[in-house]
Amino acid sequence: MFVYEKKLQYPVKIKNPNPALAKFIISQYGGPDGELGASLRYLSQRYSMPYPELKALLTDIGTEELGHLEMIGTLVHQLTRNMTPEEIKKAGFETYFVDRTAGVYPTAASGFPWSAASMAVKGDVIADLNEDLAADATIL
Amino acid sequence: MNRANADNGYRFGSLPKNAPLAMAYVPLQESVSPSYESMEALSRGTLFPGLDLPLMNMVNSELKMCPLTEMMAIDFVADELELYLDTHNDDSEAFAMYQTFLALKKEVRSRYTKQFGPISQDDLLGAKRYSWPDDPWPWEYQPKMEV
Repeated sequence: MFVYEKKLQYPVKIKNPNPALAKFIISQYGGPDGELGASLRYLSQRYSMPYPELKALLTDIGTEELGHLEMIGTLVHQLTRNMTPEEIKKAGFETYFVDRTAGVYPTAASGFPWSAASMAVKGDVIADLNEDLAADATIL
Repeated sequence: MNRANADNGYRFGSLPKNAPLAMAYVPLQESVSPSYESMEALSRGTLFPGLDLPLMNMVNSELKMCPLTEMMAIDFVADELELYLDTHNDDSEAFAMYQTFLALKKEVRSRYTKQFGPISQDDLLGAKRYSWPDDPWPWEYQPKMEV
């Protein structure tokens, strides 16, 4: 099970909101190579992993990715604080804003909502570790 | 190839010597100098200047040492040691270092929560009131973040 810690893994303090930047950063939240996909990829691959070392590693990395997800969500949230209608239009943020306002929605920068189609869980050690290498080479 | 060899001990739940799970090419990384001193490394996000490649040259402002920073730094070391120990749990030197950091973590965390409130609901044991919902939550912008 999981227990929440009321702190970020690393502090986020953005003095100047910047919705133009938030348009790109949000892909790291809910895009094909984002943190949501990363955490679900590792946490879901655990069940068919036969080796204790790698059960531990997938659990710990998958958990840490949830911490990364929270930091990216915080970045998007702080980048889109106190926007005026002019700032929203100037930044090209209006296509996001019309549907989600300043909510932090798991989506790719293209506007495509987060999809499990962007990850693979095959129940095979080699296939899954190759998937991890392709998605996030830092696991090995 | 007979059946016993064909699965390379896959079913026995341990990593057999003759079954590499993956082959990766990793460029040789210098582990000694040059490297950042620890506070700068924490702020830059890497110990190695050669790996310090910030996107669009946007970098963190220098971190100030405060109870929260101290706790994050110790958690960071403990987390990294855990990932290493997951696959090297017979490395006694690393495990001894891990023990040191677990003790440090407990001490720093208890000091932090006494001053600034709970990090987990377990920290509420013996508290005067249920302060868990209190602002600020971690994602909220705080102009003065000196905790």
